[in-house]
Amino acid sequence: MFENRAVGLALTLPAALFAAALFILPVGILLSEAFQGENGFSVQAYIDFFSSGRNQTVFWRTLKLAAFVAGVSAVIGYAAAFCIVSLPPTSRGRMFGLVTLPLMISPVARTYAWLVILGRTGFVNAILVDIGIMDTPARILFTETAVFIGLLQLFLPLMIISLVSAMENMPRDAIPAARILGANWFQVFTRVILPLTREGLVIGGTLVFTGSMTAYITPAILGGSKVLMLETLLYQRVTVANDFVAASVIAMILIVMAFSANLLLKRIATARKTRA
Amino acid sequence: MKKLLCTTAAALIATGAQAQDRTLTISVYSFAQDEFKELVYDPFEAICDCELVVETGNSVERMAKIEANAASPVIDMAVVSTHDALAAARKGLLQPIDVSKLESYDKLYDLAKDPIGDNMAVGYTFYATSIVYRSDMIDSVDSWADLLGPELAGNVALPDVTTNQGPPTLHMIGKAMGDTDPSLAAPIQAVADHADDIVTFYVRSSQLAQLMQQEEIWAAPVGRFAWGQFKDSGLPLAWATPKEGQTGGMNVMVMTKDNGNEDLALQFMDFWLSTDIQKALAEALVDSPANAEVEVSDEIAENLTYGAETANSLDLIPADVILDQRENWLAEWNAKVLQ
Repeated sequence: MFENRAVGLALTLPAALFAAALFILPVGILLSEAFQGENGFSVQAYIDFFSSGRNQTVFWRTLKLAAFVAGVSAVIGYAAAFCIVSLPPTSRGRMFGLVTLPLMISPVARTYAWLVILGRTGFVNAILVDIGIMDTPARILFTETAVFIGLLQLFLPLMIISLVSAMENMPRDAIPAARILGANWFQVFTRVILPLTREGLVIGGTLVFTGSMTAYITPAILGGSKVLMLETLLYQRVTVANDFVAASVIAMILIVMAFSANLLLKRIATARKTRA
Repeated sequence: MKKLLCTTAAALIATGAQAQDRTLTISVYSFAQDEFKELVYDPFEAICDCELVVETGNSVERMAKIEANAASPVIDMAVVSTHDALAAARKGLLQPIDVSKLESYDKLYDLAKDPIGDNMAVGYTFYATSIVYRSDMIDSVDSWADLLGPELAGNVALPDVTTNQGPPTLHMIGKAMGDTDPSLAAPIQAVADHADDIVTFYVRSSQLAQLMQQEEIWAAPVGRFAWGQFKDSGLPLAWATPKEGQTGGMNVMVMTKDNGNEDLALQFMDFWLSTDIQKALAEALVDSPANAEVEVSDEIAENLTYGAETANSLDLIPADVILDQRENWLAEWNAKVLQ
């Protein structure tokens, strides 16, 4: 684009310097603490971290909840995105606005609302008792279920937005063509929609998985210390124990998990592409 | 004459400039800073002819800052819990407070005079910790053991072991069980055995009023300093007086080592401990007074940890026990309760 390559490089230099000096360098220093032992490089901090039963529980819980939230949001997201793209343009814009509306409300306010809705005297329990599913209100708050619901509501819009934009780029005739050729709706979804929207799924899945894994407010308020996740554990290690080594270990684990999730999703998408 | 006037004016300006150069940097809890500014900081600045720099934050951050700048202190005086003060003293970050220069020192309750030894700290407020409960849901709470009893099963919140209320609560549960070993192994095991009956292990007492309102919990151990917010909720709530007594905690003032600002820091401490200021803080329901001369109305006293009898009856965990056992408690708690 630029006649002189140096001009292009010069233009990117301020942003690169900014990122290197104020983000990559400090994060690198922080994370390097997790590899320092008494005699230089060491992975002892990781061995110590994973040798604790509590930390293992927290690690698996974080992985499980994040994967579960990403999976369920993909299912709901596809249904919602399909409905939205089938609407006429004006209604589509309105629906899209409704989907993005929660993103404009502070996560703290949204999560506090769940505290009221999921409480024993809250809306959910009132309905469950009224329609006779339960005799007495259930304890939902401070359980994994509460954290799951909170995270799902928090990140579902990201999945829907990603899938809507992927579906909008799909050839308009693809679905009618598949139907005419005798495919049932399940086949339409697995053979046509899924392969053509895989980029959106990878982006949405990564955003939702990483977001759920690194969310702090929702697990802290709806889960408390009985449902610790890696992010709430990290906070606890820093503020209570002043243990920056364990905190760096957790930060490194979160980064590795986020990259792994992205690579895995891309791999799945590529495999489908090859097969298709 | 003209020359004399000029010289006097110059001298006055110089004195003024010198006075403004005096700066006292204090490190305090983030709690109730608007009230502290109005009742303590502004009035002190008005009489000391100095600038007061106030740094706030949680205990860990503030202690870390004091430790990181030990060679050339950036904080002159700090207010912390007794065990944080002892931790700092053991690390050599503090110097003894010259209590002979504190006019209000003799007015303090005995437990506030030298809580960690060697005059390394002076208590400025203390609080009782007991159990708040919904009196419409449960008849009465008579013992700390009731927290784990059948009546409250599934309706009680306990403080997390990492909070200031956590260890004292466990200490009292242990006392009710007849086990006062500082390892707290027995009460931690008891809590672990009843973990499913406990709604949550809270980190901030501010969330409890809402949980009480939502009938999520019927009872929780809390510090008296939070009682005001419960009373204001309009719910039928009561403050239990368990047969094992009440526990609690104390906050203290400390002087950082070699800060070079000792006289001003002592002046500020004395100001804060004076009867007038302690009374003003008590009447604003900010801090219970450590100054025994403070007298407040019954209505105010009701919301505080007030009076010699109350002060002397508190079953406090000694600071050295908290400090020496804290890591063990956390490890034991993580292994048994959060497993």
